[in-house]
Amino acid sequence: MFQSFRSAMTWIHTWFGLVLGFVLMGAFFFGALCVFDREIDKWAIPEARFEVQPMPSFDRVLLPEFEAMSPSLETMQIWGIVADNRSSLIDLVSIHETSAQGDARTERVVKMLDPRTGKVTNGDHFKIGSEFFYPLHYSLTLDWQGLGEWIVAFSGMMMLAALISGIVIHRKLFREFFTFRPGKGFRRSTLDLHNLTGVVALPFHFFFAFTGVLIFVGQYFPIGTTQLAQLHELHEQLEIGESKIPTERSGHAAPLASVDAMMAEARRRWAAHGMPGEVGVIHLRFVGDANAHVAIYPAATNSLQDLLNGVHFNGATGAVLQVDPAPNAVQQVAGFLTGLHLQPFRHWPLRWLYALGGLAGCVCIATGLLFFVEKRKHQHAKQGSQAIHVVDALAVTTVTGMVIATLGILIVNRLLPDTLPAGWPRHDDLERYAFWFAWLLAMAHAFWRTAPVAQGRMAPAWVEQCWTITVMSVTAVLLNWITTGDHLLRTLSDTYWPVAGLDLALLTVAAIAALAGRKIKRRAENASMIAESVAQDAARA
Amino acid sequence: MAARISSRQQIALHVVAALVANYVFTWGFIALGVAGLFAAGTEFHDAESLASMLGLLVFLTAFLWTFAARSLPRACLVLVGGGALMAGTASLIQALLIRAY
Repeated sequence: MFQSFRSAMTWIHTWFGLVLGFVLMGAFFFGALCVFDREIDKWAIPEARFEVQPMPSFDRVLLPEFEAMSPSLETMQIWGIVADNRSSLIDLVSIHETSAQGDARTERVVKMLDPRTGKVTNGDHFKIGSEFFYPLHYSLTLDWQGLGEWIVAFSGMMMLAALISGIVIHRKLFREFFTFRPGKGFRRSTLDLHNLTGVVALPFHFFFAFTGVLIFVGQYFPIGTTQLAQLHELHEQLEIGESKIPTERSGHAAPLASVDAMMAEARRRWAAHGMPGEVGVIHLRFVGDANAHVAIYPAATNSLQDLLNGVHFNGATGAVLQVDPAPNAVQQVAGFLTGLHLQPFRHWPLRWLYALGGLAGCVCIATGLLFFVEKRKHQHAKQGSQAIHVVDALAVTTVTGMVIATLGILIVNRLLPDTLPAGWPRHDDLERYAFWFAWLLAMAHAFWRTAPVAQGRMAPAWVEQCWTITVMSVTAVLLNWITTGDHLLRTLSDTYWPVAGLDLALLTVAAIAALAGRKIKRRAENASMIAESVAQDAARA
Repeated sequence: MAARISSRQQIALHVVAALVANYVFTWGFIALGVAGLFAAGTEFHDAESLASMLGLLVFLTAFLWTFAARSLPRACLVLVGGGALMAGTASLIQALLIRAY
């Protein structure tokens, strides 16, 4: 089908890049936002705007809350507490059995607790960062049959294919490191920027696409639960024989021992092994039974992996059952790969590099799409084809439309009152609707205002959406001020970076969008002036 | 125009065939990796993560190769045949291990 290896690689790069570039842009953009997911949560939930606290007392503060969340101790399955190193509010998760219709089902209750007061907050909050942008970047929130995850994973694999084929196409890899010619015409500088952002962050792009697919690989190749399920079962039987952790209730009632004492013991053990740290995750099972199990894990503040070094206790006696063994070589490699993607650590310069790498990925993909349009638009205009109109409209939808949707959810988050009137949908649903509605509007506008591309001209949609972004970004910052009183002067003087940082980022976005809009407008005017004078010359001749 | 459409269909067929054949091949590779490593004494989940890591790289390489190969039917035959053979061997190892315990 292809004349040479290089022409095959060019084909893969162009067409898979075009079709899946839109998905990849989303994964990279929202993935980059997820570096600051907990900070975005704090911007979206004013109640969460305080410094991160240590884990509160389980016996006095958390236990009563869990008892209130669970109908009875007999049906409780899991109580989980997640107090990671960047969240101020603590997540409490309770899973219990419900057998209302005769068949056993489980119900999951999630609450957020303010560790300073020990009180559960009003449940109707939406963590836009960690509960929306985060799942969006790997599943597009298309949950049916895991469809979204399959689409993103496939796009991730094709990103890897595009990177390798890109290297094959461009043999002058080293030179492209230093090549950017902004004055050499739009098409040339677009391609320069595409190559530059692709090559400079090549290891980053490769690593993130690869580890992103790797994290959910068990879903795409579910071999251990299908073809080799028997082998998996055999392994579990062998493991149960070795482990001291109970797997079922004993049937003998026994009260829960002091979990605070277990936390102290876990901290002491970590410190004794040269890894002092705070408690990050507590996991309880079979509470109220003699076989109660409490697992305590440190917060991964300075490490690549969480859920390492867990200490397991018998919940009824408080005795240590076992300590997680140090990871072996395979676990270290796997943990390193997924840990670098999930970044549980709190190293801020490194986190910023991640965000910039993600944005460089966006620039690389967007300039690829733009180059596709620029290269073909004059030829398509001559042929009278509409294909390039569709591609440009989708490019507008993905590049500026995605930012508009993101700003839409932030603005609606600040506009909705804390307590919604009776009969309204929940906060999270309304904010989600706002996000998709804003994106849909941007898409409709993009298709309407990119029609001139089919005649080989610049689409006005780009400029108009740039202005929209500027207005929306400033609106979001103002709304944050009006609804919470947290203006930039205050958050900066308090050095409360989660909110100050997002406000500053929004203002930066506003400025960049305004500059871009002005520049594109000027270029379009120049181009149309040249076209007019050419037409006049032709008419005169 | 007719030639363009038939070439479009050919391309679509090429892409689908390459994906399916590579999926089967990678499935076989990971399955054989898991069963083989487990039989050699590796912990089950470690075997899974090691085989999957390599499996993704195998998918990537084989996928690019399929497009560069001179004959698509032959490439697909090699991939599907190889995948089935590896998956079959994995099931055989599983059956032997289950009987042994």
